[in-house]
Amino acid sequence: MLMQPKIKMKVVGSDRDVGEVANVIADPVAKTISHIVVRTGDRGQRVVPLDQIAEVSEDVHLRCSAVTVSGYPLLCRGDYTTVHQQEVAGLEARLDVEPGEILIPVPEGDRDIPRRGFFTKFTVAINAVLALPLAYPILKFLIHPMYGAYDNTWVKLARADQFSDVDAPRSYRFKKTLKEGYLERTFDKSHWAMKASPETLEAVYQGKDLEFRDKNGDVYWVNRRNVPYIVYSGKCPHLGCGYKWRSTKKYNMAFLCPCHLTIYNIAGSVLTGPAPRTLDVLPVRVTPGGDIETIDVEYKAGLVGRVRVI
Amino acid sequence: MSRIAKQIFDWVDERAGLRELSDKMLNEPMPGGSRYAYVFGSILVYIFVIQLVTGILLMFYYAPTADHAYESTQYIINNVEYGWFILSFHFWSSSVMVVMVVIHMSQVFLWGAYKKPSELVWVVGTVLFVLVVAMGFTGYLLPWDQRSFWATTVGIEIADKVPLIGDFIGQFLRGGPTTGAHTINRFFVLHVMILPLAIMGLATLHIYLFRKAGPAGPYKGTHGELTRTSEYFFPRQVYKDSVAIGIVFLITCALAFYEPVELLQEATPEPGDYNPIPEWYFLFIFQMLRYEMFSGEWGQIIGSIVIPMAFMIWLVAIPFIFRNPERRLWKRKLGIATWALILFAVAWLTYDFSITEVH
Repeated sequence: MLMQPKIKMKVVGSDRDVGEVANVIADPVAKTISHIVVRTGDRGQRVVPLDQIAEVSEDVHLRCSAVTVSGYPLLCRGDYTTVHQQEVAGLEARLDVEPGEILIPVPEGDRDIPRRGFFTKFTVAINAVLALPLAYPILKFLIHPMYGAYDNTWVKLARADQFSDVDAPRSYRFKKTLKEGYLERTFDKSHWAMKASPETLEAVYQGKDLEFRDKNGDVYWVNRRNVPYIVYSGKCPHLGCGYKWRSTKKYNMAFLCPCHLTIYNIAGSVLTGPAPRTLDVLPVRVTPGGDIETIDVEYKAGLVGRVRVI
Repeated sequence: MSRIAKQIFDWVDERAGLRELSDKMLNEPMPGGSRYAYVFGSILVYIFVIQLVTGILLMFYYAPTADHAYESTQYIINNVEYGWFILSFHFWSSSVMVVMVVIHMSQVFLWGAYKKPSELVWVVGTVLFVLVVAMGFTGYLLPWDQRSFWATTVGIEIADKVPLIGDFIGQFLRGGPTTGAHTINRFFVLHVMILPLAIMGLATLHIYLFRKAGPAGPYKGTHGELTRTSEYFFPRQVYKDSVAIGIVFLITCALAFYEPVELLQEATPEPGDYNPIPEWYFLFIFQMLRYEMFSGEWGQIIGSIVIPMAFMIWLVAIPFIFRNPERRLWKRKLGIATWALILFAVAWLTYDFSITEVH
């Protein structure tokens, strides 16, 4: 087998020296060297086919003369990539060349740059056309359960005759049945309720009836300031933990949230701690049968204002 | 037999290039040689694989629905043979992973190994850090006990406070206004599909970029010394990694054995006597939010969103802030001081939590 020409080897024509090997050009299909690039004395680079090589020893000996070499085409560098830019599987194993640039011809159809741009743009456009109509259904699919209507049904918390002492809040459990998607579950939930002394009532309502409004701003319930029962949402307005009514070191009996340690007084005002607002007063009504009922409203925690979530 | 095996291997190798691939993977020259200091990246890969394996095992019995998640977890713990161990191992590995991530990042930071040309390795690493924490947060809900419910409820209330998009994030994560049936589905798909795939992709990118940039090596020693003492990744470093992984494995086994996971009552919005606390690595932020200076609407946004976001931005920006190529520890006073301050703050807040009485 012919010894392969290497970069920087001297190239000798049939009559005289012509220059040196600047590059070798590989055939990516046959995975062999197809041409050598000869850097001639006048700095030109000529592409010489391999069959013009008579012998490779120390130097590359050509069959043709120096004049014939100068008749071969000049290297047009833009028509080639290198092995750094193109993966030709198994090429390296079959070439016996010094490390350096092995040139590989770009297919003729790909030398037309404007067409490359055209293909790139249309590939992006076609994919965008496919993807964009999917974006909306995917978004709707994902957000499907996120925004539902509020539930304004009344739930029974306690009986009015259970409240013998005033200002003695207790946590009252109730069963909540919730249908989320296809799944209906019943679980425990609780709110705080108490019979309030006139002072506490005054502190909570500050002489005004408390109106509850829905999304449109319409009033769906009014807590009259003279109804002595108060229900606080069981959710701490700081970050949504459950708080307790218990004795505290500094404030005696108070509402204390064990998470971030906000302490509220009997009227729901913050005595100490990070909560941004007072406890959430919920709608309350006393049925003719003597039941204390409320609407299971929940507000976002962490805000000064009340943003209803359920 | 071995001759046939060799022939089969050669046949496959000729087509698949296995030898070349494994040579390229293992013959990674490490300037200055192998060290026990370099084991943490490999430990993280190991823990991730362990989490995949134990996680897949748990899915054989676990049901990600609000009406069966708790029961199926109880079944794993109480009825399925070794279920308690696999669940506990999965649980403790997640904690060990957080510890290892922090050590890994601290080390890269202190060694100055994030500096040019390794900036992108660091940046991808910070994203992986967030994903590991997100894995912890989403996994916490899945047993569907009181601990799960309240950690998630409070965690999402915090996310809800992100300006402009917070409400959407909160609703999206919960799949509704409250923690419930949709939340557990969503956390499940995040925990077992989206986050693991993201971690796999980014960890691959992380390692690729690391190999592309090359190991930073020790921060002292001349070029000649480091070249002379350099060693391949295999066998010495692989051996050291394996020893370290063995130790981590034993520690995790011991934790799972002596502190197995026990469930509280099933999740419900009625807290009863339960005082919610998050997983230990979130305690510092939990304690921080108790402070007066982080009270009120804006204080809370600063404490729970602005400060963590600023920290993350700082973390990502580290290679672009500290651009001095100097890597020696004692010459980088600002960097070291910042690192020490952050670690001290986290440790102190966690300690402060442990001594704060709920009164």
